[in-house]
Amino acid sequence: MVDNSKSALIIGAGIAGIQAALDLGDMGIKVHLIEKSPVIGGKMAQLDKTFPTLDCSICILAPKLSECYRHPNISLYTLSEVQKIEGISGDFTVEVLKRARYVKEDVCTNCGDCATICPVRGVPNYFDANLKNMAAVYIPFPAAVPPVYIVDKNSCVYLNYGICGLCATNCGAEAIDLTQKDEILEFENVGCIIVAPGYGLMEDVNPLTKYGYKKYRNVVTSLEFERLICASGPLDGHLRRLSDGEDPKKIAFLQCIGSRSDRDQKYCSSICCMYCTKAAMIAYEHNNDLESYAFYIDMRAGGKGFQSFLHRGEDEYNIKYIKSKVSHIDIDEDESPIITYEDLDTSEIKQIKVDLAVLATCIIPSEGIDKLADVLGIELNKYNFIKTDPFFPVETSVEGIFTCGCAREPMDIPRSVAEASGAAAKAAEVIKGG
Amino acid sequence: MSEKIEEDVRIGVFVCSCGSNIGGLIDVKEVAEYAKNLPNVVFTEDNLYTCSETGLTQIKNGIKEHNLNRVVVASCTPRTHEPLFRDCVKAEGLNEYLFQFVNIRDQCTWVHMKHPKEALEKAKEVIRMGVAKAAKLEALENIVVDATPTAMVIGGGVAGMTAALSLANQGFETHLVEKANELGGKLNIINKLFPTSQDASELLASLKKRVESNPNLTVYTSAKVKNIEGFVGNFEIEVDQKDKNIDLTIGVIVVAVGASLLTPTGKFGYDGNIRITQYELEDKLRNNEVNAKDIVMIQCVGARNDERVYCSNVCCMTALKNALIIKEKNPEANITILFRDLYTPGTYYEEYYRRAREAGIVFMSYKLEKEPIVEENTIKVFNEYIGEEISISYDLLVLSTPLIANDDNKELAQMLKVPLEENKFFLEAHVKLRPMDFATDGIFICGAAKWPVDITESITQGYAASARASTIISHDTIEVEGATSFLPEYNKSLCTGCEICITVCPYKAISKNENDEIEITQVLCKGCGVCGATCTSHAIIIRHFTDEQILSEIYAFGGI
Amino acid sequence: MSKFYLKYMHLEVFNIMSFEPKILGFLCNWCSYAGADLAGVSRMQYPPNIRVIRVMCSGRVDPKFIFEALRVGADGVIVLGCHLGDCHYLEGNYEAEKKFDMVKRFLKLIDFDDRVRLDWVSASEGARYASMITEFTDHIKTLGPSPAGKDNPDDETLEKLKAIEEAAGGDRMRALVGRERKITEQENVYGETVSLDKFNEIFDLAIKDEYNRHRILGLLEKESKSVKDLAKELKIDSSIVLEHMVTLKSRGQVDFGELLGITPTFHKL
Repeated sequence: MVDNSKSALIIGAGIAGIQAALDLGDMGIKVHLIEKSPVIGGKMAQLDKTFPTLDCSICILAPKLSECYRHPNISLYTLSEVQKIEGISGDFTVEVLKRARYVKEDVCTNCGDCATICPVRGVPNYFDANLKNMAAVYIPFPAAVPPVYIVDKNSCVYLNYGICGLCATNCGAEAIDLTQKDEILEFENVGCIIVAPGYGLMEDVNPLTKYGYKKYRNVVTSLEFERLICASGPLDGHLRRLSDGEDPKKIAFLQCIGSRSDRDQKYCSSICCMYCTKAAMIAYEHNNDLESYAFYIDMRAGGKGFQSFLHRGEDEYNIKYIKSKVSHIDIDEDESPIITYEDLDTSEIKQIKVDLAVLATCIIPSEGIDKLADVLGIELNKYNFIKTDPFFPVETSVEGIFTCGCAREPMDIPRSVAEASGAAAKAAEVIKGG
Repeated sequence: MSEKIEEDVRIGVFVCSCGSNIGGLIDVKEVAEYAKNLPNVVFTEDNLYTCSETGLTQIKNGIKEHNLNRVVVASCTPRTHEPLFRDCVKAEGLNEYLFQFVNIRDQCTWVHMKHPKEALEKAKEVIRMGVAKAAKLEALENIVVDATPTAMVIGGGVAGMTAALSLANQGFETHLVEKANELGGKLNIINKLFPTSQDASELLASLKKRVESNPNLTVYTSAKVKNIEGFVGNFEIEVDQKDKNIDLTIGVIVVAVGASLLTPTGKFGYDGNIRITQYELEDKLRNNEVNAKDIVMIQCVGARNDERVYCSNVCCMTALKNALIIKEKNPEANITILFRDLYTPGTYYEEYYRRAREAGIVFMSYKLEKEPIVEENTIKVFNEYIGEEISISYDLLVLSTPLIANDDNKELAQMLKVPLEENKFFLEAHVKLRPMDFATDGIFICGAAKWPVDITESITQGYAASARASTIISHDTIEVEGATSFLPEYNKSLCTGCEICITVCPYKAISKNENDEIEITQVLCKGCGVCGATCTSHAIIIRHFTDEQILSEIYAFGGI
Repeated sequence: MSKFYLKYMHLEVFNIMSFEPKILGFLCNWCSYAGADLAGVSRMQYPPNIRVIRVMCSGRVDPKFIFEALRVGADGVIVLGCHLGDCHYLEGNYEAEKKFDMVKRFLKLIDFDDRVRLDWVSASEGARYASMITEFTDHIKTLGPSPAGKDNPDDETLEKLKAIEEAAGGDRMRALVGRERKITEQENVYGETVSLDKFNEIFDLAIKDEYNRHRILGLLEKESKSVKDLAKELKIDSSIVLEHMVTLKSRGQVDFGELLGITPTFHKL
């Protein structure tokens, strides 16, 4: 074997980044895994169950997170972002900004005493789709990796006003260091870079006004719905309407929100057909009286077992699929959503009242991808996803920089994982092949 | 019964306070005192944070000063901290499997906060159970086998060639075995590729050139795999090439045998003449033989129905591609595509669909229950939206049929000892997180052999399978944790040869050798223990979770 | 209710209320143990009666573990694995399900089946774990102390549990339960698939037979006995006892003993 000291640098530690890191690490190649947020796992950690197997998402993800954390060849840098790169394929130098966590990673025992005593309580937890609040010193979810708390520098009163500091004085292990500073790290001899920043949420940039998002309490996005039905989410898995706490008996799943549209994004978000059925199934498991309605244009279920999954939804989980185009959502005096749509099977304009409406919002390029593409010198396509050639699917416009997963285009987990391994192979060719 | 050498068991117990997480509810000093009186315990200590540098040093000192040969730590949970403590005792010269973890935080003080007295009693009892098991623990070595740094890719289509090239580029001796007399698979049939409309022959030529010029890559065309013996890192494979026998020692295998085309005999008047499949159309387009003016394409022919539930992924894009080619050549042509759900996911493909619509291709949906009726010159289809039956005249009818599994998948699957799913495509280890692996170590799958996919994804999967294969042969040896299942020499006489253990092992780690004896291939064993719990003669032993060890915990629980 | 009962009812209630069950749990490393840890991290409270033994897979739980646990005085035993389809080792929990089904059928013969439970808890179901343990503990509390309980174990119950453990551990039962999935889901050696109902018919018969046979062996442990004596002690028909004797003899497990008058006795080999 060609013994090589060259490393691989992976940007993004969602499921794609993690898979690529594990593959390269297992090949004996040193990996620097760079993640912007304080924990790894990405969107997959936020899901309740995954289609088509209805596996508990965090259950199948957690062993990979642990493996990444303990792998002798993988160095994990969270709260970190790539600032600059120099060099060429086979020999990059990468500068990374590692933001202060204010907690010593090798000392924190994950006991949570700091969060218990922190006086700042109303910080929205992005992991719970902002449906639940946390303290200014927090860990986004209990099984998070690294298993280390973080001080949110935007809401911590010590870091902003110089008062309090109770977490530091109360930490038995003396793990909290509020004097920590951001660092610049430099990585030399980097053979390849893999860019896997995942995707962003349309609801973060688009007000979705005609659907009443944020205006009507019983209109939620699919990610919010995932957290609401998740056993470890804000409602402990007991789905209730956010307006009055009632059990919803009729739920509408609106696909193609902001996608396949001339007004918003023209492309197809790929996964919504499948995940709406999945979400309806999970909701049904909690309440067998549930009636679910999936509003779709074309049902896209090409993957393994996907068509059977849809049939099960129809036959066993009381899901009605309505070929339609949704116009807008109003509410009645009960705050129950009323959906106006064109039924494409009858060409009639109809209305339906439901207890809860779930918007399957379009997957958009990851937040900050413009800046990242700039730093790396890679091209984005006209949708602002990373540009690749269909027959060189994991290669970016810069030699030695590879990409995979939703950074390229919307795709499901099996494809993201396969692409990640694919990118790892290309990286290995450069690093080992010389 | 075992052949253990009787030794003087000296157990050290370290009770963690975890700051106040444990110590705040129960008196850890009392717990440590209690542990002192347990059988075989020669030393106990309580620590503030056993996982801290100080704590780890205390463990090492304890081992040194008191000649400990077993260590028990009672603190948080083995799921996060066992590796840390195992490394610690290993550093002090003690085999890492002689370490036992007892959970007195996550499953004790944290969950019984209103019952401190009971939590204290529970902590004592679970430590008693842990100490009992520790006394029965045995030193184990990890299992190491050699890994031959060679790979075989079965199938020389686009996925197979991509996988083979990637492995060869990484420096591995790679053997590419192709059944037909030339490489390329379906690339030989396809005319142009979507979404770029490049010639498939160009991509094929480029791949072939790279394959044939790669010094690490040996290609065998007109060759079939005849027999496979061995296991990961050490497969012995017989290849038959035109009646010549070739024996190869292979480290990892990648299956890339692709899929087959369906001929829709008896459906929609198929005649292979003016009612043809998309693939027959590819051929005609390549030879410039399409002069039809009214073309109708029907999607989902023989797919997404009772006979074949699945969606074949590529047919919609293929239809769009061919429709656009025809329209480009003859803008006056009338093309109608009858579809049920149009499959053009993602960015590029959805864009392609728009292009097709803008080019004037007409899309009309139909339902499974009301299939189009094909007559001599017209097709009658009921359109839900209009609520009427429409008649479309045609002079060329193209049927979009699905990719289906190869007839010989079963034969290959049996040779490899890997499973097929209900449609006879190969079944991977886990649909979400291990899409390129088989459950059997060392064998990988990519491309249409696994499930219908387009060229882009075939290429991605080819790379992916090569990465997965590379993780094994990038090292000289394969090492697995020592906590495996085994059939010891002294129990061989108990074995009745019922072979039920073979049936229940999900990793095919158990087999019968040429002497008709049960053999458990250590390197394939994942240590689940099902064979041990199933063995009709109680002959199989599960290391580190033996019957004796677990029973000792049960007896300690019972106060014995 | 009699006046006597009413007078002393409060003591019985007090006894039940003060009875703290001893519960043993077998948790699989990847799902249920992780779920239990999550309950801990989330500080979800549950009764302190359970003691946990960690195994890698619920499929590791040999029926003899459950029987031994009951024999040493467990009031309740709970086995928790990954949800079906989610097993870290692919199919281990399906095997666990079959073994546990056999355990339950055996225990039903002695009214113990209510004291054991098999369920599935995923790594993310901390709350479910906590409420399941709470519910199981309460359930065992209402059942009262096990007749094999440490404080005052009933000899007959212990003897029956021993017979069950040996019957379940015999190669016949282990072969049946080990082959169950293959025979009912794929095919047997003749290429036929046996329906689950048919299998259970055969299974139940085997369970009853093996239980009685091993009870016979248990009773013959100390002294030789005649068929009539055995029939009386076991409270089953002499003709059935005789059938079992024939089988036991052919298995080489018993042989003729001394003659008591004209009545033959048997002893255990």
